Amino acid sequence: MTNPFSRPVLSSGNTSPQHRPLWQRLLLSEYLVVVLCLAYFCIMIPIVPRIASIQTFQNILSDMLPLIVVALGQTIILIIAGIDLSMTAIIAMTSVVGASVMTGTGGPLPGSPFAMPAGILTMLAVGAGIGWFNGFCIARLRMPPFMVTLATTMFFAGVAIWYVTLRSETTSIANLPRSFVVIGQGKLYGIPNSLWVTLAVGVLIHLMLTRTVFGRELYAIGVNRISAEVSGVPVSRRVHMAFVVSGICAAIGSILYTGRLETGSPIIGSNILLDIIGAAVIGGTSLYGGKGKVIWTVFGVLFLVLLDQSLKLMGLTLFMVFAIKGAVILVAAIADALRTKVTGR
Amino acid sequence: MSSISRKRFLMFTLRYVPMLLFAIVLLSFSLMSPRFFDLKNMINIVIQSSHIGILGIGMTFVLLTAGIDLSVGAIMYLACAMLAVYLTGLPIWLAMVVMCTIGMAFGAVNGLLITRLNVAAFIATLATLFIGRGLALFVTGTQLLTLPPPILELGRSNILGVSWTIWAFAIVLAVSWFILARTPFGRQVYAVGADPESAAKAGINVRRVVFFVYVICGFSAAIAALVSGSQVGSISPNFAIQKEFAAIAAAVLGGTSLFGGRGGVLGTVFGAILIQTVENGLVIINADPYIYPMVTASIIFIAVMVDSLRTNFLERIDQRVIRMEDLPR
Amino acid sequence: MNRENLLRFENITKSFFGVEVLHGVSFTLESGTVLGLVGENGSGKSTSMNILGGVHLPDSGHMSIGGVPYAPTSPREALARGISFIHQELNLFPNLSIEENLFIRNFHRLHPTLPVIDRKRMRASAQLLLDMVDLKLSPGTLVSRLSQGERQLVEIAKALSSDARIIIFDEPTTSLTRNEIDRLFAIITRLKSQKIGIVYISHILSDVMKLADNVVVLRDGGLVGAGPRAEFNIDRMISMMVGRSINQLFPVRSVLAIGEPMLEVEGLTQPGVVRNLSFRVTKGEVLGLAGLMGAGRSEAARIIFGLAPYKSGSIKVAGKALEPADPRAAMRAGLAFLTEDRRLEGLLMNAPIFDSVALPSLEAHASVRTGWINNATLESEVKDFSKRVQVNTADLHDVQARNLSGGNQQKVVLAKWLMRRPKVFILDEPTRGVDIGAKAEIYKIINTLVEGGCAILMISSEMEELIGMCDRIIVMGNGEITGSFDRPNFDQERILAAAMRRGRQEVA
Repeated sequence: MTNPFSRPVLSSGNTSPQHRPLWQRLLLSEYLVVVLCLAYFCIMIPIVPRIASIQTFQNILSDMLPLIVVALGQTIILIIAGIDLSMTAIIAMTSVVGASVMTGTGGPLPGSPFAMPAGILTMLAVGAGIGWFNGFCIARLRMPPFMVTLATTMFFAGVAIWYVTLRSETTSIANLPRSFVVIGQGKLYGIPNSLWVTLAVGVLIHLMLTRTVFGRELYAIGVNRISAEVSGVPVSRRVHMAFVVSGICAAIGSILYTGRLETGSPIIGSNILLDIIGAAVIGGTSLYGGKGKVIWTVFGVLFLVLLDQSLKLMGLTLFMVFAIKGAVILVAAIADALRTKVTGR
Repeated sequence: MSSISRKRFLMFTLRYVPMLLFAIVLLSFSLMSPRFFDLKNMINIVIQSSHIGILGIGMTFVLLTAGIDLSVGAIMYLACAMLAVYLTGLPIWLAMVVMCTIGMAFGAVNGLLITRLNVAAFIATLATLFIGRGLALFVTGTQLLTLPPPILELGRSNILGVSWTIWAFAIVLAVSWFILARTPFGRQVYAVGADPESAAKAGINVRRVVFFVYVICGFSAAIAALVSGSQVGSISPNFAIQKEFAAIAAAVLGGTSLFGGRGGVLGTVFGAILIQTVENGLVIINADPYIYPMVTASIIFIAVMVDSLRTNFLERIDQRVIRMEDLPR
Repeated sequence: MNRENLLRFENITKSFFGVEVLHGVSFTLESGTVLGLVGENGSGKSTSMNILGGVHLPDSGHMSIGGVPYAPTSPREALARGISFIHQELNLFPNLSIEENLFIRNFHRLHPTLPVIDRKRMRASAQLLLDMVDLKLSPGTLVSRLSQGERQLVEIAKALSSDARIIIFDEPTTSLTRNEIDRLFAIITRLKSQKIGIVYISHILSDVMKLADNVVVLRDGGLVGAGPRAEFNIDRMISMMVGRSINQLFPVRSVLAIGEPMLEVEGLTQPGVVRNLSFRVTKGEVLGLAGLMGAGRSEAARIIFGLAPYKSGSIKVAGKALEPADPRAAMRAGLAFLTEDRRLEGLLMNAPIFDSVALPSLEAHASVRTGWINNATLESEVKDFSKRVQVNTADLHDVQARNLSGGNQQKVVLAKWLMRRPKVFILDEPTRGVDIGAKAEIYKIINTLVEGGCAILMISSEMEELIGMCDRIIVMGNGEITGSFDRPNFDQERILAAAMRRGRQEVA
C-alpha cells in the first residue's frame, strides 16, 4: 500500500515490511535509540532517583545543545561517506580567534557595539575557511578525508594554542563582551538562547538535507558516487561545499561553547571528537555514507548525554564513563552491522 | 615516447619526495645548529622514535589490508597499567610475556569484531579504544604510577654497548620485515590489501589473514608500551594518548597507502624517524615549542598529498586501452 | 598421436528462474586438442562453461573427466579436478611479483612445517612455468609493470602450475596486440602437445578456424553444430550462429520522416580508445552501434556524454557544439545516457527507487537560487514517468532499487532519463540481463520515444535487437567504424563480418 504521507525524501530511510518479527522491526526502526533511551531512563530511576529531576533535565539539555550543532556538521560529512576529524580543532581555533577579535588590544573593536557581530563573523569565516581547505584537498586533490582532517586537526589545534600565547599571558582569552556571552548563557522568552540557535541550525540543516537539491544530492553521492556523477551531480563541488558547511557548524558550536565559558580557549572541545562521531553513528548514520538524518543525530546526542549524566549521578569515575561509552559505541556498531545483515546487502 | 619518459620521471620524483623531504630537514637543521648533525644526537633520535616506530610497524600490517587500528594507544596504556599494578612481583621476562599476551588478546578482540561481526574497523577499534582506556584507568585508579624497578633498569641497560631500546626496535623491524617479505602469510597480506575479492577467489583465507593482522598490531603495541614505559618510567592517565595517529602518520609518511596493498615496514621506520628528526631538530634550535605540532602536521600533510597525487596519476595510466596505437619501436 | 576422451559433456540442461537456458547440450573434448566454442551472446556459452567450472550446478545431464564422473559443486573442486579457467578479466595482484602471483595459494616452503618461503625453489619453478608460456621476464618482476598480454601469459602459467588437464580460454585476445596473440597461439599449440585439452571461446571466428581441431556452435542454449574443423568455414559458422528469423518481439513503428540531425559526431579521436569516429543521428531515428565486446562502443558513448575526455573532433547536439568532458553540459543540451552497468552507474542500489528516478531532475524541480525543491511537482512527475515505464508506483518510496528484477531496474533507469525529456538518448546494452517480457516493454518504450521525435543511439551486442529496432546500423571494430548499413540492407552475416574486422586485416 502506498502511504500518502510517505516521505518524498531522497534518503535511504529503512523500510520495515510488516511481516518481520518484533525484534527485527525494533532493530530496524529509526526510533530504536529513543526506545533505548527511555528504557535506560526507566531502569535508572530506582537506582538514581535524582535522574528524574528538573536539574538533571536542565543539565542534559545544556550538555546536548552545542554538541548537537557540531554533530550535525559531522552527520553531513558522514552522509557523503567522509569523515571530519578536524571539528574539534576548528572549535578551538575559532574560539581563540573570535575572542581575540572581540578583546584585541588597541583596536577599535573592544567595547564597541560592533565587537560581537565582528567576532561572530570572524568565527564563522575561520570555520568556513578551514572547512574550505579540507574540502579542497578532499574533493579536488582527491586526498583521503581521514588523513586530511587528521593533519588539519593537528595543525590548527597547535595554531590555536600558539595563537593564545601570542595574545595573552594566560592560556585563554577572557573578558568577552557581554553581548557575546549572552548567546551561550542568556534566555529569550524563557528559553535559553543556545536552544534557539540549536533549533535554528537543526531546522535549517533538516530542510537543507530533505528539501534542497544540495541535500538530496549529498545522499546520492554517499550511496553511489559514480552513479551520482553519471546522473549529472557535480560531485566535487558538493563534497567541497559539505566540508565548508561542516566547518561552519563547528564554528557555531564554538560560539555556544565560548559564550558559555566566557573565555576563548584553545582546549575548548578538545576531547569531544569521539562523542561527535559516536553520537552520529549511534543515532543511525552510517559510516559508509548515504544514511543519516538530523533527528537521528539528535537522538544519538541525547543517548550519549543521558548516559554521561547518569554515570556521573551514580558517582562513577571517569574510567567507568570511558569504558561504558566504548561498550555503547560497540553495541551500536554491532547493531548496525546486524541491521545490514537482516535487510540483506 | 617522450611522454612516457616524462611520466617515468614524474613517477620517480613523486616516489622519492619523502626522501627529499628528509634530506631537506636534515640539511636545514644541520645548518641551523652544529649540535644537530652529531652521532650522539642521531642515536638519540632513533631511540626517541623507537616506540612510534614499533607501533607504526604493527599499524603497517593493518593498513596493508586497508584496515585501521585506533586502539593501539589504549593497548599501550592498558599493558603498562597491568604491569605497574599487577605484575610488579613477576620476573621481568614473565612480565614481558604477560604484557605481550595482553596486547595480542586485545588485538584478537579487534580482529574478531571486524572479521566475524563485520563491524567497520574504524568504529570497532574506536570502541575498543574507549574500553581499553577505561579499563586502564580503572586498573590504575587514574593515578600516576611508577613502573617496577626492573623495567627502569631495562630502560637504562645496554647490550654490547647499544641501548636495549635500539635492540628491541631492530628486532621488531627485522622480524616484521621477514614476515611481510618472506612468509606466505606476509605476501597474502599484500594480496588481501590489493583486492580482497580476488584474494578470496585465489583461495586465500581472507578472514584469517585480517584477524592475524590485528593480533600482530596488538602485539607490537605491547612491545611499544614496554619500550616507552622503560624510557618514561611512569605512567600517567595521558600515557600514549593519541599515539594511534602518530603511528598512522609514520606509516603513511613511509609510503604505506591507507587503501591497502602498498607499503612496508622499512618505510614506516623511516617515517617515524623523519617525524622524530623534525621534533628533535626543533628542540635543538630552540624553536617555540608551540609550533612543533604545526610543523609535524605540515610534513604529514605534504606526504599524504604526494601519495594522493601519485595514486591519481597511476589511475590515469591504468585506463583501459581499446586499440594499440602504432608506437615507434 | 593417440587421443582419448578427456571431457564428456552429456545432455546438460539448466534453467534460471524457470527459463531453460541450456537444452541438453553435449560435446566431447579430446586430450591434446582444441575445441572451439562459438555462439552469440546469450547462446549458452558462458552457462555451459560455468557449469564446467563449478559455478552453477546442472539441472540434468552429466559430465565426466577421463571416464570418471564429474559433478563439481564449487570452483575449488573444479580446480582440484584439473580444470582451469582463464577469464577475460584477469585475476592478478598487481602489487605482487609474477612468482608470488603464481604461487599465492601454495608457496614453496623451506620445510613443510616452516612458514617461510623457499625463494630459490619458487624462483626455479616460476622460471619453468614462464619458459613454458614463453614469457621472457624475470619471475621477480612486479605484475603492475606487465602489459595486458604479458599478464594473460602469467594467468596461463598459473593455470599450468595447478596441473591443469583442461584449460578454458574465454575471449583471451580482446586486449592483446598482434604479437601477443601470435605468442598465445604458439603456446596453445604447445599445450596441445602436452596432452592438455583446451576449450577456446571467441567471437573472432578466424582465430577459431586457425586453432580449433573441433568446433561446437551454440544458439539459444542448444547445440546447432559440432564436428571437426574441416566441416566448417567462417560463413557457415556465422549462419549457424545467427540461425532463426526475427520474430515479433519488435514493435512496428509508424514511419517518421527523417528530420534534422540531433547528434553529430565528427572525427572523434582519443588515442588508445577511438579513432576518427564520424556519424549522425537525426530526429526520430534509431542508430545502432554494433561491434564485438571491447570494440570501443561504450567508450565512444562515454566520451559523447562527457564522462571521458577526447583529443580531437567535435560533438554537436541539435546543431550546437558540446562542451567536452562535462556530463552536466551534455545533459543540459538534451543528452541522456543509459549505461552498460546499471548497478554501478545507473542506479542508487541502496536507496528507494524514487531517489534513482528523481536524481537527474532535482534541479529542474527546484528554485534556481535557493535549490528549494518543489516536492509536489517532483512527486507527481516521478509517479507519472514510473507509470509510463510500468514500474509499480506503490513501491517508489518503500522498495530499494537493489530488490528489483533486472528488467524493472532497467525500466527505472529509463524513467529517470525520460523525465528529462531527452533530445538524444544513448542506450548502452538496454536489454542486457533482462527477461523477454521486460525486453518487449523496453522496445515499446524506445519506440514511443522515437515517435515523439527523440534521436536514439543504441549500442547492443545482440544482433537481432539491432536489426529489429534500428533505422541504420554502424559497426565498430578496434575503436574505428568498420561498416555502415541502411535498413533494407541489414544482413546479419555482413554485419558480423564487419564487426570482426579489427582494423588490422587478417587472412580469413
